[in-house]
Amino acid sequence: MDFFSSMRVSASGLEAQMKRMNSISSNIANAETTKTEEGGPYRRQDPVFMSETDRETFGEILKDQMDENVQGVRVADIVKDPSPPRMVYNPSHPEANAEGYVAMPNVNTVQEMANMISATRSYESNVTTLNAAKAMAQKALEIGR
Amino acid sequence: MGNGIFDPTIGALNTSLNLRQMNQNVISSNIANADTPGYKAKAMDFETALRTALDVGDQLKMEVTQEKHIAPQSQDPIHPEIFDDPNGVESMDGNTVERAAEMAKMAENQLLYDASIEMMKKKIGMLRYAINEGGGNR
Repeated sequence: MDFFSSMRVSASGLEAQMKRMNSISSNIANAETTKTEEGGPYRRQDPVFMSETDRETFGEILKDQMDENVQGVRVADIVKDPSPPRMVYNPSHPEANAEGYVAMPNVNTVQEMANMISATRSYESNVTTLNAAKAMAQKALEIGR
Repeated sequence: MGNGIFDPTIGALNTSLNLRQMNQNVISSNIANADTPGYKAKAMDFETALRTALDVGDQLKMEVTQEKHIAPQSQDPIHPEIFDDPNGVESMDGNTVERAAEMAKMAENQLLYDASIEMMKKKIGMLRYAINEGGGNR
């Protein structure tokens, strides 16, 4: 139980937000992708965050209540948005169906941009906590100087 | 502590620093999980934890009144109580972390930690002053 615990937790937050950012950029890059390896249009990706008890080493299995409550975060899974694709009328498109409609990805660019701002803010707040823990640890080294 | 050249104040400052550090861990955990669905913000009551750890008023202290009594260990590990923050408002995804409130708590915690460190430095400076027979500050 030390400052490194706090730093590890903040780092896990940074990692998770970074993965979220990867999903967002993938979604925006593929906002117009109509063809994928598994067939059909691209489907929006969404990371699922899960809190996880911070455990440094195997020896920390005998942990107390404090350690139970200090939780990092990790991306448990990246799920595909099950909402239906956007149907756009464009008969000249090579992926158009018999009625002339093209199945476009279920990505909403505005939503992705809002999500991106949220991810950026979360990332920043984790950086701030990491810096705070570091400043406190450095301050402690000044004792007796 | 409390005997020898280290007076009880240094022990108290030590406990206070440990608790501040634990509080920092709790806050960083909350901030890391600000986007985790269903996560409940944790809180630690610093004042109560410090009072319990320092045993203010000797209410809970074990006394050695007979020679066969075993003296309590002075360096008991501190176990502050951590609970789900009662002020948290649940958002759509069941998360109760309020980011701004956590940042404010962290700033406060950090400042008071720094204050305790300064106190500790002064205390040790005074000891050093005595050790050097008042000669020079360092």
